[in-house]
Amino acid sequence: MSESAFWNEDWMKTQQKYWENWTDMSRKAMGVQQPLKSPLESAMEHWWQGLSPGADDMTRDFMSKMMAQTQSYFRMAEGYYSNANDSKNWQDAANRTVADLQKLFSGDRENIFGGSEAAGDDALHKMMAFWEMPMDNWQRMVSSLSLIPGDLLRNMPHKDGLDRFLSAPGLGYMREEEGQYKQLTQRVVEYQRCLSEYMGFFSNLGLLSANRMKEKIEELANDGKQVESARGLYDLWVSSSEEVYGEQVMTPEYAKIHGRLINGLMALKQKLGHVVDEALGGLNMPTRRELCTLQDRLQESRRESKAMRSEIELLKEQMIELRALVTSKPKASSAPTKTAATPKKKVTIKKRPPAKKV
Amino acid sequence: MQPFNIRPDQLAEEMLDYSRKLGKGVENLLNSEKIDAGVTPKVEVYREDKLRLYRYEAPADVVQSSIPTLIVYALVNRPYMTDLQENRSTVRNLLAAGQDIYLVDWGYPDEADRSLTMDDYINGYLDRCVDVVRKRHKLDKINILGICQGGAFSLCYSSLHPDKVKNIITMVTPVDFQTPDNMLSAWVQHLDVDLLIDTLGNVPGELLNWTFLSLKPFSLTGQKYLSMVDVLEDEDKLKNFLRMEKWIFDSPDQAGETFRQFVKDFYQKNGFIEGGVKVGDRPIDLKNVTCPVLNIFAEQDHLVPPDSSRALRNRTGSKDYTELSFPGGHIGIYVSGKAQKLVPPAIGQWLDERSR
Repeated sequence: MSESAFWNEDWMKTQQKYWENWTDMSRKAMGVQQPLKSPLESAMEHWWQGLSPGADDMTRDFMSKMMAQTQSYFRMAEGYYSNANDSKNWQDAANRTVADLQKLFSGDRENIFGGSEAAGDDALHKMMAFWEMPMDNWQRMVSSLSLIPGDLLRNMPHKDGLDRFLSAPGLGYMREEEGQYKQLTQRVVEYQRCLSEYMGFFSNLGLLSANRMKEKIEELANDGKQVESARGLYDLWVSSSEEVYGEQVMTPEYAKIHGRLINGLMALKQKLGHVVDEALGGLNMPTRRELCTLQDRLQESRRESKAMRSEIELLKEQMIELRALVTSKPKASSAPTKTAATPKKKVTIKKRPPAKKV
Repeated sequence: MQPFNIRPDQLAEEMLDYSRKLGKGVENLLNSEKIDAGVTPKVEVYREDKLRLYRYEAPADVVQSSIPTLIVYALVNRPYMTDLQENRSTVRNLLAAGQDIYLVDWGYPDEADRSLTMDDYINGYLDRCVDVVRKRHKLDKINILGICQGGAFSLCYSSLHPDKVKNIITMVTPVDFQTPDNMLSAWVQHLDVDLLIDTLGNVPGELLNWTFLSLKPFSLTGQKYLSMVDVLEDEDKLKNFLRMEKWIFDSPDQAGETFRQFVKDFYQKNGFIEGGVKVGDRPIDLKNVTCPVLNIFAEQDHLVPPDSSRALRNRTGSKDYTELSFPGGHIGIYVSGKAQKLVPPAIGQWLDERSR
């Protein structure tokens, strides 16, 4: 937090009161008797860490997302206020805020937002994390598809020299097995490249968003419109980021990067599946490949059985109609007449398409 | 005029207000009961594998149309979106408009359903549901209301079985899958769908969720949660939010073979427009759709851009084609207050005029 008198006095006092109330509530939720002491700066996090065990999964997840956004929001409000305090006019304050954002995304995190923050600060990291959301979403998804939580491959080394080693042919009795593992490693390396490319694509967008925000501020001034709240400032930042993101991910370049990322992950998973299948086969256990064959055959059988059942139902209905015709016929034929009885409803046999064959 | 008018006392008040709402909101969250969705009473009239066919109970004081309407939902997410809560229910309002409503619930496919094809869904499950409804009402033809991907399935079905469809309504249904503003389409052009399906079997709901959230990551995974502070204090509004949240992340896996064909034929080859789609052994030709068509789309739809739906105009064989443009988004068309007043009554009136 900044050293501004405003932040350290009135607002902080009021906030402290609320943090204490919340902490008290968290103690109740956890059954803890002693008050939890925490520094004011991280009170919100401590509060939530204390409270979250009492919440169900959905609430916990929801609140975690909300807390992350709250920190971005508070940070932006404080950053703006700090700049406004040090500025002579609104242009200067706006320029300083945008410049801070630009510096943040260009990696220069010293002396920004009123000079109160240094590199590595957690609140700043949270704000940076705002632009990591697309990446974060990807990691969550990858984690959900994996046995091991988290995207462990994100930080694996993938130097160029590895390619040469992995391309070298295997030798001797174990050459096939060695080849399998080399291919698996090659796919890890390839996925790494795709992931780096994907992250690289996003690395520049934060900076572009800061520039877009500056343009939007100028537009507001020209149109005679005003932002009257910190929330309005945050929304301006979101809309700037969303606009830039929307433009960039519609480019042919991104479509290729996106395709390569998913294809890279799938190629890796597929190879991993083959290796696991080999191991399972060696243990005389059912493999995924066998299960897929069984599933395909079973589905084909069910398709045929359903088609036959439909045909039987249709034939049954036709039988009933024909029986009704036969039973009504004696009445008509009991007295020898010159004209044959005409059925009320014409019986038609609908031909169904034959079941698909493999 | 200066673009910022944020006074220190205002800022303090805003932060204080936010904190107060957040504190109260958490209390409400912790006290909130289990969230239920799907509120209108219904009875199961048919089941097959994981599929369930429901008929909704009509209000006693409303005369129902003699021609029932079958809602065909997408395989993505769950169909209770159409019946989320009492005051936000397309189903309820369609019943109030005098329609007799059935709904296909596809269920949650698992690995054993991996081999289900579009043929199985359209000529199998859907056709048998239509037959069940036709038989129950002793009718040759019934109405079909297809939603999003379910709308595309309904168009395929109507093309293959025009003798069983009296009227078709498509809601937020993609027809031209390659309009310039279709983000999803742009993203899958370089996707190796065969590799994806051969590797994963079914397509996990998590992958679909990631894709949909990636369309607007800052609004959908960030700003939305901050905005909710404003409704956390209100228990009813909080429940509404949690219902939506439940629906968004209640994302079934998609049967692999169906996903493979759907993405390749429609997203990559734009099959409704360019042709070449076959379901089973038969080609899909929109000119075979000769019944009256009501095409409803949302003007701010980020998943199915309006132009993608509008492409249906002049492409069917119908002489009775109507469009309804809704001022809202892909989800708002089912759950917003405005939609409740506009959309179901319009559908009811359109059907009544064609069901006599």
